[in-house]
Amino acid sequence: MTEPVAQMKNVKKQIGNKTIIHGISLDVYPGEVFGFLGPNGAGKTTMIRMIVGLMKVTEGDIYIQGHHVNKDFQKAIAQVGAIIENPEMYDFLSGYENLRHYARLSVKPISKDRIKEIVELVGLSGRIHEKVKGYSLGMRQRLGIAQALLHSPSLLILDEPTNGLDPAGIREIREYIRRIAHEENLAVFVSSHLLAEMQLMCDRIGIIQHGRLLQVEKMETLLKEKKRTVQVNVHPKKQAMEYLESLSWSINNINGILHVEIEQKEDIARLASDIVKSGYQLYQLNEKHESLENTFLELTKEEL
Amino acid sequence: MYLFKMLQNEHLKIYRRIGTWIMIGLMILTLLVFALVSKFILNEEDSASWERQAQAEITQIEERLNSGAPLKVEQDYLEQELAVLEYRLAEDVPPLQSDSLWGFMADTTNLIGIASLFTIVIAASIVANEFSSGTIKLLLIRPVSRGKVLLSKYVTVISFGFVMLTLMIGLSFILGALFFGNSGGASAFLTYSNGQVVEQPMISYILSLFGYKSVEIIMISTLAFMISTVFRSSALAIGFSLFLMFTGPQFVQLLSSYDWVKYILFANTNLMQYINGVPMVEGMTISFSIIVLILYFILFTIVSWAVFKWRDVAV
Repeated sequence: MTEPVAQMKNVKKQIGNKTIIHGISLDVYPGEVFGFLGPNGAGKTTMIRMIVGLMKVTEGDIYIQGHHVNKDFQKAIAQVGAIIENPEMYDFLSGYENLRHYARLSVKPISKDRIKEIVELVGLSGRIHEKVKGYSLGMRQRLGIAQALLHSPSLLILDEPTNGLDPAGIREIREYIRRIAHEENLAVFVSSHLLAEMQLMCDRIGIIQHGRLLQVEKMETLLKEKKRTVQVNVHPKKQAMEYLESLSWSINNINGILHVEIEQKEDIARLASDIVKSGYQLYQLNEKHESLENTFLELTKEEL
Repeated sequence: MYLFKMLQNEHLKIYRRIGTWIMIGLMILTLLVFALVSKFILNEEDSASWERQAQAEITQIEERLNSGAPLKVEQDYLEQELAVLEYRLAEDVPPLQSDSLWGFMADTTNLIGIASLFTIVIAASIVANEFSSGTIKLLLIRPVSRGKVLLSKYVTVISFGFVMLTLMIGLSFILGALFFGNSGGASAFLTYSNGQVVEQPMISYILSLFGYKSVEIIMISTLAFMISTVFRSSALAIGFSLFLMFTGPQFVQLLSSYDWVKYILFANTNLMQYINGVPMVEGMTISFSIIVLILYFILFTIVSWAVFKWRDVAV
């Protein structure tokens, strides 16, 4: 097993008398996109602020590439690139000047070629010399990513990276994040409250609520746990249901729609042919994609 | 090397703001207007008769001294004045006049408040702006200690203060030379020290005027910097520092009969009081003031540093 890039060990955060994070332990590995999923106010941003040292850890330890964030801040943070909440830039400077500003603060020297390369990568070449004042939110987000990647970090932290982006922008960012994680063996730590988004972006996911980590799972496992079903609209319903059950399909009738459980793709074709052969009228048949949403809602269900 | 790059960044961030250039423009404009007013509106004094004026002042002071016992401080002050005036007449050293290069430069020191004001604005906003724009988050996740970030900002504020002062000195020299030439000026300034009158070259007198005033600028902008760092609000820092700068000396004067007043910052910021006049509170000396100023300076910097270093950033 490879060494984790970031290690969190029983991290707690207390502000005044209020405990915001109740002991979270977590490892993030190179080459993976780790999703930190939770409703608003769950403690995602607080956790991220502690990882990058903006907030002090009350109890527990955070290591980045083996360096303790609070005790050895400069070595630890040199390995990190991050956007925290909105990508706020100096808007009276141009995008390029913003990048130069951060490049000057890097441990290893960053050449003009490297800046140019990053600018091309995030697709800002055309407008990089304009003042950030005139940038759209999407452009700021890209500049934010450029800023985070400038010094080739081994851990990339993105807090709500698709906030305020249009669907095309979201897709682009998502694909880009997956690509750099897998190609450059970068560990990416993404937080979001958008389930669908996380489902498409992450390899592994941790669900956080009320400052507690409820579950950490590989995305595949999380999705596999749910049974796949096919929704069937067929006439006459009752007879059809009895007939299909006699062929040992297991069926639920929910609000007049038959939900047929299946195991694999081939089952869909078999089911369709069974219905057609029976002579009943088939109006609609579609596979219901089990979204993470159900899993998520189930896990974070408020106890009433 | 690292600090140099950070200073480069901080300078970039203040000089690329339009507001900074507006302040510099205003400063130039004010000096220009001041020069024009001094040249064309204020009446030229009759410099030929300075001997007679000095003679009249001497009679006045002598009368005042003989007419009973004024306060001890006042008496000291009058005696000093008297000694200077008598020396002036005896050695034929004309006084400083507004319509000369040196006179204009000396008058310009009255406008140093503008340099203080603008330096306060920069000091009050250099930390607070990073918080209000949210850029502090990206600034503090660099491999640099928070202490260094704060130091680079503080040094930038002080450097801006000196840029403003240098600009004032340079501009007042140029405008003074342009409008008044080198004519009719005093060549030496008379001061009273250790019981006798001393002649001081004019240029060094004027530079020392600016020098003493720069102490005030450093102290007040360090205060503004601290308020800005602690409360993260530039409006509060500007308002509070300006309020103190304008009311502080009045407050001290009002309460000058109490001894504890001498420990107040504003009783000590004006070191000129030891050169040109009498101290605000009896018994104060220049070394006392310097020690008080250093203590305040240490207090301000430690508070700023500790708060900046340890506070969680949650903007």
